[in-house]
Amino acid sequence: MSFPGGVEVDPCEKCEEMLQPYLDKQLSDAEIAEAEAHLQGCSYCRKRYVFEEELRMFVRQAAVEEMPPDLKQKLADLRTPLF
Amino acid sequence: MSETTPEADPRRLAEEARDRVHFEEEALELADQVYRVARRLVSTREEAEDLMQETYARAFRAWRSFQPGTNLRAWLLRILTNLNIDRGRRQQRSPDFQPLEEGDYYLYNRLEESGREANADQERVDDRLSQDDVVQALSAVPHDFRDVIVLVDIGDFSYADAAQILEIPIGTVMSRLHRGRRILKRELAGEAVTSA
Repeated sequence: MSFPGGVEVDPCEKCEEMLQPYLDKQLSDAEIAEAEAHLQGCSYCRKRYVFEEELRMFVRQAAVEEMPPDLKQKLADLRTPLF
Repeated sequence: MSETTPEADPRRLAEEARDRVHFEEEALELADQVYRVARRLVSTREEAEDLMQETYARAFRAWRSFQPGTNLRAWLLRILTNLNIDRGRRQQRSPDFQPLEEGDYYLYNRLEESGREANADQERVDDRLSQDDVVQALSAVPHDFRDVIVLVDIGDFSYADAAQILEIPIGTVMSRLHRGRRILKRELAGEAVTSA
């Protein structure tokens, strides 16, 4: 891909840079269209985008540790007595 | 001329008590969600429990300063992160990292390189990473970066909420998140490749 100034940018490298803002929905419409056009024709990037999306879900689930049951009671005990 | 009458006082007190009870109940309903974030901001369950109790004790004392209609979960987390800093758990500055060479495809590429299945068409996350890998990798991410990952990716807070909770500009949230996720993936690659 050629840009003003003649700097050559590897389209997969550019796609990699767009990965996080794409999943965070931070790209402009034009950038989304550019990323999606590239993804459609590039299985190398597509696999990595799918992986990233799965990874985020996996991290979210794996990081969850439920609150110990007795802690809620301890927190409730901190409430101001009514009388 | 308005003057507080003896009759008005009990009514006002009753209204205040009702508002306070309502606030406390709402805050307690959010405790599970607040704990999930708290647990990943600190290293141990004991620290998380202490921090939760201090947070709720302070929140119950300061309930009048909460503006009804605003985000109570973010308000509680703001108290919690401030307490976490005050307690000196984060006094050490995050080390200045060398620029990260690894991009966002790094983890996939490492898993692919180390894959046992020569013809694996697609890497599946849960085939290659365990819950322990994630917990270990997350705890290895420096605090400043981990805080934003925990708030945004685990706590589901918006960039704006995370900025308010941590009292940092939104641009800093975005850059720490970007960098923090890359650090996390580098740590995950280390965990996954070691345990493969």
